[in-house]
Amino acid sequence: MNRRDFFALTGTAALTLATKKASADEIPLKKEFVGVLTDTTRCIGCRACEVACAEANGLPVPDVENDNALEQPRTPSETQLTVVNRHNTDAGEVFVKQQCMHCWQPACTAACLTNAMYKTKDGPVIWRPDKCMGCRFCMVSCPFSIPKFEYHSWNPKVQKCTMCWERLQQGEKPACVQACPADALMFGMKRELMEIARVRIYRHPTKYVHHIYGEHEVGGTGWLYLSAVPFEQLGFRTDLGTTPYPDYTREFLYSVPIILFGLPALLLGMSSLTQNHEEEPDEGIHNE
Amino acid sequence: MSKQKTLSSEVRAFLKFLWSEMKPRGKALTPFNVISVPIMIAGLVILVIRFTKGLGAVTNLSQDFPWGFWIGFDVVTGVAFAGGAYLITFVVYVMRVEKYHSIARVTVLNGLLAYIFYAGALVLDLGRPWNIINPIIGNSFGYNSVLFLVSWHFLLYMITEFIEFSPAVAEWLGWPKVRKFLHSLTLAAVIFGITLSTLHQSGLGALFLLAKSKIHPLWYTEFIPILFFVSSIFAGLSMVIFEGTISHRVFKDRLEPGAHESFNKIIFGLAKGAAISMFVYYFFKALIFIHEGHWSMIRDAWGLWYLLEVVGLVLVPCFMFAYGVRHRSLGIIRTASVLTMLGIILNRLNISVIAFNWNAAVHYYPSWMEIVVTLMVISAEIWVFRWVVTRMPVFGPSREFAFTS
Amino acid sequence: MESYSYVNIFETKGLEYLLLICFLVLFVVLVRYLSAPKAPANKPKT
Repeated sequence: MNRRDFFALTGTAALTLATKKASADEIPLKKEFVGVLTDTTRCIGCRACEVACAEANGLPVPDVENDNALEQPRTPSETQLTVVNRHNTDAGEVFVKQQCMHCWQPACTAACLTNAMYKTKDGPVIWRPDKCMGCRFCMVSCPFSIPKFEYHSWNPKVQKCTMCWERLQQGEKPACVQACPADALMFGMKRELMEIARVRIYRHPTKYVHHIYGEHEVGGTGWLYLSAVPFEQLGFRTDLGTTPYPDYTREFLYSVPIILFGLPALLLGMSSLTQNHEEEPDEGIHNE
Repeated sequence: MSKQKTLSSEVRAFLKFLWSEMKPRGKALTPFNVISVPIMIAGLVILVIRFTKGLGAVTNLSQDFPWGFWIGFDVVTGVAFAGGAYLITFVVYVMRVEKYHSIARVTVLNGLLAYIFYAGALVLDLGRPWNIINPIIGNSFGYNSVLFLVSWHFLLYMITEFIEFSPAVAEWLGWPKVRKFLHSLTLAAVIFGITLSTLHQSGLGALFLLAKSKIHPLWYTEFIPILFFVSSIFAGLSMVIFEGTISHRVFKDRLEPGAHESFNKIIFGLAKGAAISMFVYYFFKALIFIHEGHWSMIRDAWGLWYLLEVVGLVLVPCFMFAYGVRHRSLGIIRTASVLTMLGIILNRLNISVIAFNWNAAVHYYPSWMEIVVTLMVISAEIWVFRWVVTRMPVFGPSREFAFTS
Repeated sequence: MESYSYVNIFETKGLEYLLLICFLVLFVVLVRYLSAPKAPANKPKT
């Protein structure tokens, strides 16, 4: 990379960073999806994001100082919408924050028969309690196993990260992004985040693996990850493919109207072919 | 005045008739009653806990296993077994094969009750069942969901099957004009019912298309909907053989003379259908196996489990059906139907529960309370079935209208 | 870092057609076996 290219790239990055702030107020007007870029090389594992998330969502706040939670691998749960895990990799200890990926074409919204799981116009995937009937098909379908169910309540909720949808509407950033002291999280339009992520890879071609997790995974996700080690080592599923999940049911759902119209016509035709001309059509559902 | 009087007395007589029909008949202390009543009471107690303390209080469901025994067995497997109704109505009303006419009504009744109870068991599993009206009344139609399609089909199919069965109700109530009208709807209901069945039998499989990353590759295929549909054919046929064999023993006194012999002939026909559909199903399985190149996967325990299901409980009973037809052996056919049903149970549970999240650290198994509730659902279904067949003309021809005014 | 190689998704097609032919032959055998029972009563196909 020569000097001029370098300046050009950093210039773009600086520009996108500058415009990002200005555009935060206009988010509801934009037709673009927002996302968050997680740079796992910057994460220091302080779990400030976990605390901020719990506070923003009214969930039990973890005792970060004393709970030794990093010793065990965890997954997001119905009481913790985001968790940070420590992975021992080729590049030493790496911390990875986990939460809903906010897929561009989410499996959960395609699965939901009441539109309770809802992809908002800005990108975050939210859950609407007045719609949900608790069938848990979203949990079955989510490739990242993110939606969690409150099994011990008579009036259970499905819990998942909403990218702080309510804060976004007030022009704020997600709580975790706001809280991150290491600048490991960055909120913005996915298009811009992709540019920034690429710039980081180009500037440090040996530091990062040349892959942005979430660029194409399951058709693209709102949450993006940069890493210094192959993503398998960080507990990511790399076998999910790039097909958006709703595509897997597309053919079946396409065939539904065809069968609903074609099959009765075919059956009626068969029935008139087999009709006995000498007699009246048969009598009753059994012999008489 | 006098006309009004006769009307009111008729209503009174009719209510009296209904009341008398509600009362239990027969012996109270049959082995089935002795077993089923405590189960149903225990099940109701468990359901009270379930609706006050949440699903987690009675089930072993977890975040990794959102669907357990109630969905995997009651709904997914139960509906496959109810497939007999659409097959028999197809053969009798569309193909007009008179041979099977005598079992049409009982099969439809079985299908109707299976949907009411087993698909109805879905409600027990819903976390927020009061919102079940949402996808029905239209304030939030999730058209994009396979489950939306399946639930609507359940609902419509129950209505269709009730229309198919309703002439028997009209006969029982002694309403010849109503019966005539309801009977005129039969062919339309049958055709609509077959179409709905095709779609929701395959739709139940299509639900799992979205679980691509979770189901063991030996079971996940884009053809799950087709496999579910084809297997519902022999699941339904085996169930008709199995259930018919039991009914013909238990309700001997309700049968027409000669019904037993004609039923045995019917069994051979059903067995032939089962053998052929199972052979076709086995071919589909083999084709998918080769296309996906799963050779390396059959060596571990999952592979053996897969072979048990596909060879042991599909191909073997398929040949047993064929052998039974050829050698006129009812015993072999009945054994084959039981094996086939085990194979269906295994297949549906594999896809929905056992091979689902197969590499999870802690695997799900049903709690005893989940099993008791399932047994409660089955017992309740048998109670209603028994109540209906001892009152309405279900087996064979209707002799007389039960209620005449 | 990423390398590309041609993936033939129809690699097993030949084997699949072979399987199809085998099963077609076997299917004819099965149907004949089913519709010609030892007992004299010859049943129509269902």
